[in-house]
Amino acid sequence: MAEKLGASQAEAYVGQSRAFSIEAENSAIRNAEEKSDAGIGIRTVINKKIGFAFVTTLSDDDVREAVTKSVKLAKASIPDPDFVSLPSDDNSYPTVKGLFDKNIAELPSEATADMIIRIIDASKQVLEGRNYAISAGVQSSSGMNAVVNSLGISCSEARTSIILFCYPIVKEADDQTASSDYQITRDLSEIDPEQLGDSAAKLTLSILGPKTIEGGEMSVVFAPLGAGTVIGHGFAGAISAEEVQKGRSYISNAFGDVIASEKLDIIDDALLTSGLGSRSFDAEGYPSQRASIIEKGVLKGLLHNSYTANKDGVQNTGNASRPSYSGLPSISTSNFIISPGKGTLDELISEIDKGVLCRNTADQPNMTTGDLSAMLYEGFYIEKGEIKHPLKNTLVGINMRDLLQRISRVGNDTRTTLSMITPSFVVERATVTSG
Amino acid sequence: MEDLALAAIDAALKTGVSFADVRIENSTTIIIELNDGITRKSMASRMKGAGIRAFIDGAWAFAQTTDLTKAGMRATSESVAKLALATQEKVAERFTINGPTFEANVQLDVKKPFDKVSIDEKMDFVKMIDDQARDFDERIVSTMTIYGELSSDIFIANSLGTRITLQNSIPRIISIPTAKEGSNRQRMQESISLRSGFEEMETEQAQNIGTKAAKLAIDLLSSKSAEGGIYDVVLDPALNGVVTHEAFGHAAEADNWPAHSTVLEDKIGKEVGPEYLSISDDPTLVGMRGSTEYDWEGTKTKKRFLVKDGIFTDLLHSLETSSRLELEPNGAARSQSFMHVPVPRMSNTFMEPRDWDVDELIEDTKHGILLCGFNYGYTQSAKGQFMFQASHGYLIENGEKGTMVRDVSLAGNILEVLAKIDAIGKDFELEGGTCGKDGQNVPTMTGGPHARIRQAPVGGM
Repeated sequence: MAEKLGASQAEAYVGQSRAFSIEAENSAIRNAEEKSDAGIGIRTVINKKIGFAFVTTLSDDDVREAVTKSVKLAKASIPDPDFVSLPSDDNSYPTVKGLFDKNIAELPSEATADMIIRIIDASKQVLEGRNYAISAGVQSSSGMNAVVNSLGISCSEARTSIILFCYPIVKEADDQTASSDYQITRDLSEIDPEQLGDSAAKLTLSILGPKTIEGGEMSVVFAPLGAGTVIGHGFAGAISAEEVQKGRSYISNAFGDVIASEKLDIIDDALLTSGLGSRSFDAEGYPSQRASIIEKGVLKGLLHNSYTANKDGVQNTGNASRPSYSGLPSISTSNFIISPGKGTLDELISEIDKGVLCRNTADQPNMTTGDLSAMLYEGFYIEKGEIKHPLKNTLVGINMRDLLQRISRVGNDTRTTLSMITPSFVVERATVTSG
Repeated sequence: MEDLALAAIDAALKTGVSFADVRIENSTTIIIELNDGITRKSMASRMKGAGIRAFIDGAWAFAQTTDLTKAGMRATSESVAKLALATQEKVAERFTINGPTFEANVQLDVKKPFDKVSIDEKMDFVKMIDDQARDFDERIVSTMTIYGELSSDIFIANSLGTRITLQNSIPRIISIPTAKEGSNRQRMQESISLRSGFEEMETEQAQNIGTKAAKLAIDLLSSKSAEGGIYDVVLDPALNGVVTHEAFGHAAEADNWPAHSTVLEDKIGKEVGPEYLSISDDPTLVGMRGSTEYDWEGTKTKKRFLVKDGIFTDLLHSLETSSRLELEPNGAARSQSFMHVPVPRMSNTFMEPRDWDVDELIEDTKHGILLCGFNYGYTQSAKGQFMFQASHGYLIENGEKGTMVRDVSLAGNILEVLAKIDAIGKDFELEGGTCGKDGQNVPTMTGGPHARIRQAPVGGM
C-alpha cells in the first residue's frame, strides 16, 4: 500500500506484548494489572525523505490511516542527503538462546502473588521491631516483535522477562529513609524473592543516620547500580554514532585512541545467552552481533544503526533500537558489559584511604561536555579501608573523560542492572561536595 | 463513547465489584525533528483505546483494551473485575471509594486547531527556527529543532455516576543548538509549550526561540565549570519552580500517605517553612500546560494551597486518597494515556511571589551564585532527598552578576531546604515541563519568582 501511494521503500514494525503485575504498598498487596498492547509503526521513504506513523491497534482501517499519514509526512519532509537505504536481507541471523521462558509466559497470577508475599516476609524479618512500610512489585511480561521491509527483511522473535522489586521505608524518631533493590531476568529459575527482600531491607537499614562530610578531592567507588548509570547511560550514550557524527558527544574522532584506563574493557554483546538486551535482530531487522567497544582503554568502535553506518561507510553494528512500535530507530546498547577484574566490593573498599562509595545515582553527564555532577542517591563515606557512615546532600563532580582515565581498579562482583552488566570499579580521584 | 463506557461499568458491577471507572481516549500527535536543516524525524500517531479499573474492598485491578466495541469493552471489564475479586482475598486494608459526581462536556476553545494548519506550514516553522539558530553565529556547528503537538479527546465515566468529556491541545517547540570553539563544545536547550492551538507557536517569543537558544549556547563557550562548595543560591523562576516541584510538590502527593512514603506524613497543618512562603498547584489557570478542568477520574479541579504562609495545607488527591484520608477531593489524578492508571500528580506548580526586587535581591547576596534554566531534577519523597541541575548560572561577586558557570547541581533535603529560603522576589514566570512518576509522563508547568536559599551545597567539577 505504501508503495502504491508513492513510497520507494517501506517498513512495518509490529510490537505485541502482554504484562501481568502485582503491587504491594504498606507491606500488603493492593493492586493487579493486566496489560495487553499491540500496535504497528510504518516507516516510508520517498527520495531520501522519511515519514513515520504509528497506531495503538492492528485494525485494518487504523493501519491504513497510519500508512497514509506516514507517506504524507515523508512527502512534506526535507530530504536527508545522508540517508542511503533501509537494511536489506543480505545476511543470515544468529541463533540467540534463552530469550523465551515458557515458565514466565505461562506464570499463573497465584505464583506472582506468592512471590510478592515471600519478598515482603523476608524483608519483615530483617525489619522486625521497627516502624516500617514495604512497597514491592512483580511484573512478568511476554512479547514479540516483527520487522518487515520492502527490501526483503522479514523477521520476528518472542521474548519473556520478569522483574521483582522491593522498596522498604524505615522510620526512626528523628530520621526516615528508604532504599530498594531489584532482580530482573529472562530465566525464572534465577529469581530469589527471599534474597531480594532480605537485601533491600538490609540496604535500607545501612543508610539510616546519614551525615555530611568535609568535601575535597578523594576516591570514588562505584558499585554496580551507580556504575550502571554512569557508564550504562553516561558513556553508552556518548558512543552512539549519531551523537558523534553530529558533534554532540564528548567523545569525538577518538577511534583507536586511548580514552580510558588500560584496566577497562567493554563489549556490547547482543548474542549473550538469556541476556536482557539479547535479540537475533535489531529494531530495523538487521542481524545482531557482539562488538568490542573498549579494549585495554582503547576505543574500538561506536554503536551504529543502518543510517549512521551508511553515512560513515562502515559496517552496521546492529544497534538500532525503538520503544516498540511507537518510534523511529535510534541507537542504543544491547548488553553493555564491563569485563570483570579482581576483587569483591569489600576488597575494593579496603584499599581506599579516603573516599566515598556511590551505591546508586540517577545522574548523567552533560553529553556534549562530559561534565558529570552526580548526587550520591545512596552513598557512604570511606576512611582507612572501612565504611564509616552513610552520606546525605553529597555530590561527586568529574568530567567523564577523566573518570574513564582514572579507573584504577575493576572488581569481579558483576551484576545485571537495568542498563548494563557490570562489576564495581574505583575512580582514583574526583571532587566531592557535601553540605 | 458513553454507551461503550456504560457497558463496561455495567459488566464490572455485575461481576461483583463495588466501583469501576473507564477512560476512553482518542489522541493524535505529530512530532517533527530537524537536524542541521534536514528532517530527521517526521512522525504521526494515533492513540485509541480504553483503560478500565475495577475495585472492591481495597483491591484494585486495571486493564486496557483497544477493542472499542460493546462486546470488547464488556469482555475486558469482566476480566478486570475478576482480577479485582481474586486480589481482594489478599489485601490487608479494606476501604471504599467515594466522592462527588460530575457531568460535563468541556470543549476546549483554541484559535488555530492543529488540523487546520498544514503539515507544510509546520515543517516551514521548524525549518525557520532551525535556520535561525544556525544563522545566529558561525560557531553554532549543529542544530536540533523539535516541534510536537498533542490533541486529545477523553471520555471519563465511573460507577458513582460521573460522565466527563474533556479535550486537550498542547503544542511545543524546542531548540537545541551546539556551539563549538576549538575543542570547547557547548549545548543549550530552550523550549516553549502551552495549552493552546498552533497560535502560541506564532508569538514573538516562540518565533525567536532559535536565536535565544543560540545566544545562550554561544555565551556558554566562555563559561566556566562551577567550583563545588556551599553557596548562597539565588534561583531564577525556572529553577525556583523546579525546587518547588521536586523539593515539595512530589512529597505532597496524597498516595504517599497510605504507602507511608513521604517525609511530610506527620506535617499536615504544621509549619514547614517561613511564614512568607506559599506554594500552590493550580490546574485552573487558563492556557497552561498542566491545566485541566476535570482530572482523569472526572473530578472537578481546584487550586491547591500546598503551603500557605509556611503551613503545609493541601495534599494532591485522587478519589482513592480523598476517600481513605477522609479529605476533600481536589482533582489531581492524572494518567499519561488510557494505558495507565490515574495517580495524584502536580499540574502548574509555583511559589507565590512576595516583595523583593530582583536586582536588590542579587545586590543583597554579596557572594553567591545565581542559578538559571533547568536541565533536570528528581526526588525521593520517602527519604526527603532531592537534586536538580541548572543549565547555567552566574557567580555573584560583591552583589553583582559575574562569571557565567554551567551545569550546576544542587542537592538538598525537603525538610531542611524550605527553612533556608530567606528572600522571595516579586516577579513571576512559568515554564513548561514534563513530570515523570511511576513510569508515566504528564505535561506540567513550574515557576515562581526569583528566590534565595542560604548555604546550600552546589556540585562542581
